[in-house]
Amino acid sequence: MQNERPLNIPVLLGTVRKGRASTHVARFLLEQVREREGVVTELIDIRKLSFPIDDAGQAIKDKDLSEKMNLADGLVIVTPEYNHSFPGLLKHVLDSNLMEYVHKAVGIAGVSAGPFGGTRVIQNCLAPMRELGFVTVFFDLNFSNVFKLFDESGNLLDASFVRRTGKFLNELIWMADTLRYGRENIPLK
Amino acid sequence: MAETKAKMICPDCGAEMNQHAEKLIEPTTAEEERRMDPELGALVEEFHTCPKCGKGAARPGC
Repeated sequence: MQNERPLNIPVLLGTVRKGRASTHVARFLLEQVREREGVVTELIDIRKLSFPIDDAGQAIKDKDLSEKMNLADGLVIVTPEYNHSFPGLLKHVLDSNLMEYVHKAVGIAGVSAGPFGGTRVIQNCLAPMRELGFVTVFFDLNFSNVFKLFDESGNLLDASFVRRTGKFLNELIWMADTLRYGRENIPLK
Repeated sequence: MAETKAKMICPDCGAEMNQHAEKLIEPTTAEEERRMDPELGALVEEFHTCPKCGKGAARPGC
């Protein structure tokens, strides 16, 4: 669409656990987004954020994260599946903003050590995404058997994920672009 | 729009912003509950985006 500003689609790494394999997934996705013309991105690692745990919600808003989310047009969330759901700290971080997410596209990459590729965590993410104002895309990424999917240096060992990720990003970028046009130009009736 | 109010002005670049959404927010504190719309049972929040720089902003609605 007619907009001189590049789309801004950060990649959010949603776990702080030591030994997390999701790091490899997030870095792979970051590179894939960076290859897209007209799109800028950065990695937001929730391990590097500092949030108190004696309060929650917008009362603990982090100014830097808020600004990044405000200027984002879409978001890729990389989340491992812990006990069939998302990490509690990911929810804690996401809950600190609201206005920053409204009418923006989000795509979710599920990560698991087993064969299901985070299908359950993706399903469990959908309800809070909607309540936060995000618009979810209908194309997910499922990184199954993640400890066998990357080598120790983080290199992807299954090239088929490149093509699948391309389809995922096509959908996410279309949605982010369309929603940006709507946010900026179409008034609420 | 349901209510006509002055356009919000972008805090970053000064352009007129576009209101694209509003949401009912459940009060989480006693102070917010006092400000709650009794008919809607919630607070109304408006969401605006600047067409010039892309900045988002919110303000209480009615």
